[in-house]
Amino acid sequence: MKATGDKWVGQAVPRTEDPALLVSRGQFIDDLNLPGQAYAAFLRSPHAHAKITRVDVSRAQAHPSVFTVMTGDDVARLTRPQRGRVPLQYSPKVYALAYEKVHYVGEPVVAVVAIDRATAEDVLELIEVEYEPLPAVINPEKAIEPGAPTVFEEVKSNTLWHDTFPYGDIEGAFAQADQVIQERFTIHRYCSTALETFGAIAQFEPATGALTIWGHTQQPSQDRQAVAASLGIPLSKIRFIVPPMGGAFGNKVRPMFLIILALLAREAKRPVKWIEDRRENLLALGHSADGIMDVTAAVKSDGSILGMKFRNIENEGAGIDFAGRHNLLMLSNIVNCYRIAAVSYEGYSVLTNCCPVVANRGIGKPFMCFSVERMVDVIAATLKMDRIEIRKRNLIQPDQFPYDTPSGQTYDSGDYPELLRKALALIDYKELMQEQAKARKEGRLLGFGLAMGVEPGGSNLSYGMLISGPTQLLSGQGEAARIRIETDGTATLYIGSLEAGQGHATSLAQIVADELALEVDQINVPTTFDTASHPSVMTTGNYSNKFNGHDTAAAIGAAKKVREKLLNRAAQHLEAAVQDLELRDGKISVRGTPGKGVTVAQLASRAYWSLADNQPDDEPGLEALYYYQNPMAKKPDEQNRVRVQLGFAGAAHVAVVEVDPETFEIKLKRYGVVHDCGRQINPAIVEGQVHGASVHGIAAALLEEFVYDESGQLMTTSFMDYLKPTAADIPTILGDHLETPSPFTPLGTKGVGEGGAVIAPGAIASAVEDALVPLGIRITTLPITPTRLWDVVSSKGTRYGPKAE
Amino acid sequence: MFAAHWRPPILVLKGEKQVPEKISITLTLNGKPVAADVEPRVSLVDFLRYHVGLTGTHVGCEHGVCGACTVLLDGETVRSCLLFAVQVNGMDVQTIESLATEDGLHPLQQAFQKHHALQCGFCTPGMLLAAKELLERNPSPNEDEIRAGISGNLCMCTGYVNIVRAVQAVAQSGSSQVGKSS
Repeated sequence: MKATGDKWVGQAVPRTEDPALLVSRGQFIDDLNLPGQAYAAFLRSPHAHAKITRVDVSRAQAHPSVFTVMTGDDVARLTRPQRGRVPLQYSPKVYALAYEKVHYVGEPVVAVVAIDRATAEDVLELIEVEYEPLPAVINPEKAIEPGAPTVFEEVKSNTLWHDTFPYGDIEGAFAQADQVIQERFTIHRYCSTALETFGAIAQFEPATGALTIWGHTQQPSQDRQAVAASLGIPLSKIRFIVPPMGGAFGNKVRPMFLIILALLAREAKRPVKWIEDRRENLLALGHSADGIMDVTAAVKSDGSILGMKFRNIENEGAGIDFAGRHNLLMLSNIVNCYRIAAVSYEGYSVLTNCCPVVANRGIGKPFMCFSVERMVDVIAATLKMDRIEIRKRNLIQPDQFPYDTPSGQTYDSGDYPELLRKALALIDYKELMQEQAKARKEGRLLGFGLAMGVEPGGSNLSYGMLISGPTQLLSGQGEAARIRIETDGTATLYIGSLEAGQGHATSLAQIVADELALEVDQINVPTTFDTASHPSVMTTGNYSNKFNGHDTAAAIGAAKKVREKLLNRAAQHLEAAVQDLELRDGKISVRGTPGKGVTVAQLASRAYWSLADNQPDDEPGLEALYYYQNPMAKKPDEQNRVRVQLGFAGAAHVAVVEVDPETFEIKLKRYGVVHDCGRQINPAIVEGQVHGASVHGIAAALLEEFVYDESGQLMTTSFMDYLKPTAADIPTILGDHLETPSPFTPLGTKGVGEGGAVIAPGAIASAVEDALVPLGIRITTLPITPTRLWDVVSSKGTRYGPKAE
Repeated sequence: MFAAHWRPPILVLKGEKQVPEKISITLTLNGKPVAADVEPRVSLVDFLRYHVGLTGTHVGCEHGVCGACTVLLDGETVRSCLLFAVQVNGMDVQTIESLATEDGLHPLQQAFQKHHALQCGFCTPGMLLAAKELLERNPSPNEDEIRAGISGNLCMCTGYVNIVRAVQAVAQSGSSQVGKSS
């Protein structure tokens, strides 16, 4: 394939990642092995909350195929406790193995390293642990009540963090309201569950003190820092290699497993490998947070929304890696697509005896979008307005961009009314309404659903200062990139954009090929990240939709620097002025002088072979290193306004469902997405992201749910209980798009990986509620399942809400 | 379907150490004979990945739900995480490594790239083998039949839209018989 016009960017270039994956030579973590490697297995807690009264590992240690056995006492003796990503005032002491107490079912208690995996798992049976069970707390609202069981005694209460942020004249908005409307929404725990589970191999070289980890992360710099801090190993001695991942979705950030493997490798004096199994994955890798959101809206009778108050009780589980993040990230889409001048957000981050939370496709934003979109529907129903009309009345208008929201976000670009118009056209809205009227006459429950949403792209990690204060070291957002042009004129880009399926390598090759006037297949973007070759900053990684504005900017910055070197060398070589040179098709020529030119390969050859040359830039070689920091990513101001996120794509989702009036089976008949992620680098990859994210959001609304019983046992620990969507469960995703380029990113791009998962739950709930209009049932919680719908209908209920406890 | 070949695994315990006896098996793997001594408890997928070194077959759940470990056993798709290696003694096993030939990629592999039917690629080997079996049984399936045909394989990335398109494209081109197993 050749670039049409002048540019590779904008073309649906076949992915460079695919050839290896199609023949299944992907080199995932479990495909890698080291000589002398041993295997780890974890004995995990059967209790949600218990004191560990006795651990006897003597029989395990005596086993002839065992290299080492470690308990929480060992880990507490040999490592420092972990810190949360957002430093907390009262941080619980969290170690890589349970210390003195277990806090959730599945928490690792003892680690065994043996000659192979089966033996390691066998040996777990030889370990005796005695527990004194304690009362467990699962519901975050109950966890903050006085007298609730305390998850971590050192924190004193289960409230890790609680604060309120008022933005704009919130009291004035409520004073002017014609009506004040209140509703409670809840969201459950779910997870994208990458098909490849978590894994790592650690190797420690006692002679040099060097530690090498091959393993999973989405934030390699911060996880490497966590390992260094915990084990007391100098950072310069830690090499971290991240192979391509079989999906990640925000879930693969659990440094505790890297810490324990490093420790085990050091103790066992040999490389140690661990690949999580699916039960362990569902039980204890991490879930998205469940939460309880109380929303109060101040509205005028014409449907104008003057202000909204939110109070969210977020269940962080028994961990600190992501504590506080769901809450703070919700400030990014707190007004969603609407002109709401005043908002206030009160957040609780609450410890419970559930699995610790991790980031999951959209982290926090799905619940905020669901709450706002459901609330808009509730307001419409209360005022007897049409759901579409109330949105039209409140949408931010195209001429208002860039638009500053009350919480400090700068929405870069968009045309939300046009997104809505296109979405209704996509689903044939008028015809659909006739179809619905006919269906209702026949006693069929056919529903149309609509949800709109912004899709933030790239987080400004200064937002943590809302919890930790202005002294927090971690701030802003950026990425690092290095480009090396080889002697044959091909180039390699080293960048912190980890491979997990999003097509970043292809997209980046397109970008660099444009900057250097090369072919896409001349640009190599390794899909394995390695701190020995890749530059990085502390924000490096693959998360928060940051690719569109940060990885791209870093790659472009490095490409421009190396291009400048090339042109300076060419000017010297051709005895011409730089401004007269033209770089095209791998060649640099002098404008107006046909035949006078030099290829990139020739210049690159001289750069490495001919070290007796005089270099115009004082050094040979042909490389450039560029560190990018986003100038928009500032610290919070005195009113706690902060650009929590840094770019705002948008989308409108439309859904048609039919509910069986007898079985309450919910059939998703049609689903459409009209999105605007600004300029598209590779439209095929963009479309794939929209499909995947939307289906995840749909499944979160209809199928996927982690269910705990009252004692804190997780009931859903296989894909037979935790239901993932199959190809037969969902229809094709209809799509259309709009393109309003961002003025703040180098290419005009905006984020695209998360939006579907953020917006779809609201669209599904809206559609099911519409289908149930003849029965008058309001949907305020997820997931929506036939069994619970039947319960509501058979008890003549009017609300599909959280179960009363 | 394995009745003719299946032998119950024999677990022999040697005192405290519980070392199981190994059992000799021979099978045809991707067209070539393979002989090995394996513990009876070794699953087929572990045998393929860790004993033979064919890492193309992936492990996604070990519960027989996700389909990442799909291989063809005597030409039919099976979950290699739910079979013991000793159960395939005397049988024909084809893995993803057999799909592309020296002449190039299988039409399904080509279509998967053309239609962006893979993202992380972890489900792809199983998905390709499921699609291959589907098209061999039904060379011109409609969309519902394709969706049903691949519904035993989970993909967490694509939402299946482009996988369905890729399979449709191969069905419409009539090239699915290329590389068909005998």
